[in-house]
Amino acid sequence: MADPVDEDLLRRLAPQVLGALVRRFGHFDTAEDAVQEALLAAATQWPSVGVPDRPLAWLITVASRRLTDLLRSEQSRRQREDTVAAWVLPEQGTAPAADDSLVLLFLCAHPSLAPASQIALTLRAVGGLSTAEIARAFLVPEPTIARRISRAKKTIRESGVPFRLPGGVEQPERLAAVLHVIYLIFTEGYASTSGPTLHRPELAREAIRLARMAHTLLPDDSEVAGLVALLLLTDARRVARTAPDGSLVPMAEQDRARWDREQIAEGVALITAALPRGATGPYQLQAAIAAVHDEAASDTDTDWPQIVALYDLLLRISPNPVVALNHAVAVGMARGPAAGLELVASLADDERLARDHRLYAVRAHLLEMAGDLDAARADYETAAERAMSLPQRRYLVARAARLGR
Amino acid sequence: MKYMILTYGSQQDYAEMSGWSQEDFAQMVEFMQAFSNELVASGELVDTRGLAAPVHTRRVRLEGGVAVVTDGPYAETQEVLAGYWIVECESYDRATEIAARLAKCPNPGGVFDATAYADVRPLVEGADEL
Repeated sequence: MADPVDEDLLRRLAPQVLGALVRRFGHFDTAEDAVQEALLAAATQWPSVGVPDRPLAWLITVASRRLTDLLRSEQSRRQREDTVAAWVLPEQGTAPAADDSLVLLFLCAHPSLAPASQIALTLRAVGGLSTAEIARAFLVPEPTIARRISRAKKTIRESGVPFRLPGGVEQPERLAAVLHVIYLIFTEGYASTSGPTLHRPELAREAIRLARMAHTLLPDDSEVAGLVALLLLTDARRVARTAPDGSLVPMAEQDRARWDREQIAEGVALITAALPRGATGPYQLQAAIAAVHDEAASDTDTDWPQIVALYDLLLRISPNPVVALNHAVAVGMARGPAAGLELVASLADDERLARDHRLYAVRAHLLEMAGDLDAARADYETAAERAMSLPQRRYLVARAARLGR
Repeated sequence: MKYMILTYGSQQDYAEMSGWSQEDFAQMVEFMQAFSNELVASGELVDTRGLAAPVHTRRVRLEGGVAVVTDGPYAETQEVLAGYWIVECESYDRATEIAARLAKCPNPGGVFDATAYADVRPLVEGADEL
């Protein structure tokens, strides 16, 4: 029986192979296809013939040959159709040398791409996932993902982005886009917006892997460290978040013994080191909030005033309705439900929350705390109608039912 | 005096070569290495390189001050530069003699067919020689 190929090895090498090919031959879009085929060749051949002594060199050789073949048929097709592929060389200065994986992360989070495309392309080109795997993770048909990826690559090709790190004033903004893509991959894995299960841990794991990679490449950036910490501290609660029947368990009722202590310790260490360094950004603040939750021995032990203070800061630097909603919950816990409800009332007119179940779920929770059970039930029911994932919906229906008639 | 010996191949030739058996390919590589090593030993080799497949060519056209890049400008059967040797030797005839030895290079059909060729061209050392 042949040994299965170490998938981590292939996934780790994938962006390095792609980087090597694009640096040497260009053609990001075609090279990406060639790398996928080389990875597939490795996955099918290595189990029987063994892993080569220099797996990276093996993959680069195979992918280069494949790229030559792909370019050859591409060029003869173009010649038949009498079209030429020409582009005007952009007049840009040189940028500092950087790790290929990092360049790829930036390229895949290019602002000319829609978030869904950024995510799919990042998972394939940097994560080394196949189209089929990405389609499975997002519960969409494979052709949909395939189209999304090929359109994204076409956009990148046509935009003529050079294969190097964005420089100067552009970089912080582009880094924010990279981190956002990783964050979206995580949230899609952690709190699936659709489908029958609450989370798809493989996506959450992949996001953590990508975030760690970014942190290794940019060790001095405290927001990157903040993102890793946030993902670890949130993911540490994953197992306790689902009951045996697949339903959602709110944090207050989770069995904290099932939280992943090792991950919490790592996340806390990261955020503790990051906070005093440089500007404090939204990922660090969210990580700090997650750390306060994770370090409380029980729900009643939670340092709510501290969480309120962190949300105050977060609202100031990155005001958005979901943060405001979480702030209202924290205020409700720290100062009583009336104070929380007052804040929720001020958010009720926000259009961005109008169709979202969360406003109703939060208000229901605060109303329940305040003892207004009829109003709480009505809000739980409205929230249930609007929730997209089945476990969330079941949880909200159950909360409503618990309050009786 | 310096000369450049140039060999040519089309994308099709490159593709055929990648279909050779390992033994055939190894024989060719061995011949080429011996050929170059002899030039090193005689002190005549300045530099030698092989070029990647023509499909990887980028043509940079310089149109009215703007650089326009074209991918893969060659047709599949068009013969283009495949490799070169720069030799420094006593005469054009000596450089030609060196190039002639390439005729013995083995390939799966035996030796090169009637259409195979190498060019020898004198290098200029400065603008005044043009």
